[in-house]
Amino acid sequence: MASTESSQPKHFLAYKGKFRLFGLTIDDCIKVFFGGNAVVSIVVLTLITYFLFREGAGFFGQNRRNLDIYRRAGLEYVDYIRTQQDDHTALTRYLSDLRLRQLRYLTQERHLSLAEANAKLGPFDDFAEQYGDAIEPIRTIVSDLTEQASAIKTKCGVAEDKLTERQQLLAEGRNADAGRVVVESVDFAAELAPIRATLPAWREASAELTKRISQVLVTAPAMPDPALQARLERFKELNATYVAGFPAIQRRLETWDYTKPVPAAQALTSFIFGREWLTASFWQDWYGVIPLLVGSVMVSLLALVLAVPLGVGAAIYVNQMASPLEQRFIKPSIEFISAIPSVVLGFFGIAVLGQAMRALSQVSWLSWVPGFPYSERLNILTAGCLLALIAVPTIFTLAEDALNNVPRAFKEASFALGATRLQTVIKIIVPASLSGIISAVLLGFGRVIGETMVVLLCAGNRIAIPDFTMGLGVVTQPVHTMTGIIAQEMGEVVQGSIHYRALFVVGILLFFLSLGINYVAQAVVRKYRVSIG
Amino acid sequence: MVTAAPTLMETRPAAPVLPPRPPAAAEPGPAAPASALAPAAETLIDIRQVDFFYGASQALHDVSLAIEHKKVTAFIGPSGCGKSTLLRCLNRMNDLIDGTRVARGTIRIRGVDIHQPDVDVIELRKRIGMVFQKSNPFPKSIYENITYGLRLQGVTNRARLDEVVEKSLRGAALWDEVKDRLDASGLGLSGGQQQRLCIARAIAVEPEVILMDEPCSALDPVATAKVEELIQELRSRYTIVIVTHNMQQAARCSDKTAFFYMGRLVEYADTRNIFTNPANPQTEAYVSGRFG
Repeated sequence: MASTESSQPKHFLAYKGKFRLFGLTIDDCIKVFFGGNAVVSIVVLTLITYFLFREGAGFFGQNRRNLDIYRRAGLEYVDYIRTQQDDHTALTRYLSDLRLRQLRYLTQERHLSLAEANAKLGPFDDFAEQYGDAIEPIRTIVSDLTEQASAIKTKCGVAEDKLTERQQLLAEGRNADAGRVVVESVDFAAELAPIRATLPAWREASAELTKRISQVLVTAPAMPDPALQARLERFKELNATYVAGFPAIQRRLETWDYTKPVPAAQALTSFIFGREWLTASFWQDWYGVIPLLVGSVMVSLLALVLAVPLGVGAAIYVNQMASPLEQRFIKPSIEFISAIPSVVLGFFGIAVLGQAMRALSQVSWLSWVPGFPYSERLNILTAGCLLALIAVPTIFTLAEDALNNVPRAFKEASFALGATRLQTVIKIIVPASLSGIISAVLLGFGRVIGETMVVLLCAGNRIAIPDFTMGLGVVTQPVHTMTGIIAQEMGEVVQGSIHYRALFVVGILLFFLSLGINYVAQAVVRKYRVSIG
Repeated sequence: MVTAAPTLMETRPAAPVLPPRPPAAAEPGPAAPASALAPAAETLIDIRQVDFFYGASQALHDVSLAIEHKKVTAFIGPSGCGKSTLLRCLNRMNDLIDGTRVARGTIRIRGVDIHQPDVDVIELRKRIGMVFQKSNPFPKSIYENITYGLRLQGVTNRARLDEVVEKSLRGAALWDEVKDRLDASGLGLSGGQQQRLCIARAIAVEPEVILMDEPCSALDPVATAKVEELIQELRSRYTIVIVTHNMQQAARCSDKTAFFYMGRLVEYADTRNIFTNPANPQTEAYVSGRFG
């Protein structure tokens, strides 16, 4: 708009307002405001991630020291022998189980009275008692060694505490005080000598055990029933395997070397593959995540098994079949479930659902259901049912969206070719929205695996890997979960302790799990999205 | 003409097979009177005094016309005049929209009132195929798209399906273009190919009537020409009803033309008459481009 005349262009263009705040115009201020909001969320995310990793990372060093002391103080050595004792205990339990079966057989099949049956089991009881006594020499050795090793570990602990104290004093500049703190270094070689000196005694005890087992087994009384006899034979086989394992134990004891350093990787592997989560133990703390992971996964999978048919089915009904009136009623109802606070659901689970399910499990005509009857009111089943309730709104809403995104044209084309409503849903609508439905299910999984309150209240909180030999009945066992353990223990641990850091590592694992699930869900949608041309 | 399941339209024996007519023949015929109730020699679809409502708003007012067997009938008119609505009444696709109803009048196909409650709408739609404005192949392979209708009817014989796929694709003039990639997704084809795939899909179930709802409105001129050629080939075997905005297209493809305005049938006559010698001044104004 170049103008040759000088008077005209002066008022041709308006000028921006002069108002400025900290040197910024109004437009800039608005931009800074909205940009700032975005930045805050990123900063918070970064801080949380950083904090999680900073606190968690220390775990591996501490865990390695923990394992190191376990070895140096001789706990590992003692545990080799303890395995022998524990295996024997397990076999003894097998015998008590066998006795129970015999008793049941005698009273139910042979219609003996309880007293008669017990009398009849007299020889078996003698046999079992003799078998149980066989372990005595080993047990004596183990209990002696346990005390000795504990003492060494305590000494180590004291020395470490003193060292920490001195370092703190030095850091505060109180050198004089620091000098007064005496750190007694532990002479492991000397301390361990008495423990290792028991090796010949153990050899003797082990040989004795072998002899006694073989003697006792010969005297095993005959069973009243072929099926039970088979179990007894199985018991003998198990004993053969057990005894055959002794030389291996001996080798491990002989070659055991307390100076051998614990490999760094073991700090990680003992966490990831560790089958025990044992804290505040007088003997040795273990931080193995497997029981918690299995608990979380079992509860979540059960929840999904229940929630997927419900959520997806309801979504298909609402989206494809329901009248507008039904839609207006069903959709808000399902979405309302997510408004129930999870603690209320948990409370409901304890007070109502757990009770009711246990009562149901004890109804006699339902005893064919795997796992029924059971006595633990709080277990995978109770928690899974409630978590399903939490997952249903997520799965329903997302699946309904996915179905809604299927172009109307597909539906019309299908109808125009003479398809029924059901054929259209099954052959066209669901396949076209399958990626969305799968991602809805995955996000539902992410939702329930992170859920805390319900599992803390209703999963039973027993830290143990459930017994999968029960088949489907495994769901009637109590478990503990990753989220539950953090919520339960975080309040009580000493800040900076190994336990505290272990909980952070569990948190990190949970974080990665959720991240992975969300990533896969998005990848599924991206990869299989139907392009609507 | 294969009328495999004569359950619906048994009131009259199957129509005698007409000798195939030369493709591009736009028969002039005797000048039909502008009356909508012109008695035709062979009326397939008889629409009488239909009033149609979307909820409270009336989309069709007292429409009556007779669609002839094995002819191409074009519905023209400005947007919102009710031509697509009438088309979708013929295979009851309007049932899918909530709140729609035929308030008065009847639509008879071979004498059967299709709005009677005992009419099997699934069977009706098998006999009356439809091609939509926007091509809508299923997100499946070309092969599965074509065989969808047959599979719904329970046909699983592979040889039979193969045969139908080839026949339908040849019928839709698409065979040579896609015969090497029948397993590729139908969505991977070009717009014009997709629309011809939809036509192939419709003819695979051997309908008697093919309804086309502005089949070329989303296509470029080259693709449009191909679809029009296809219509010329199909006219010998099927009764075709086509809704179009394109008056040249109506003039080129159809035997009879109905002009709608504001939900009413203004004029229904031989195409040649409509375009050269319309009886109604509104029709003349529309076809000559003065409004619409």
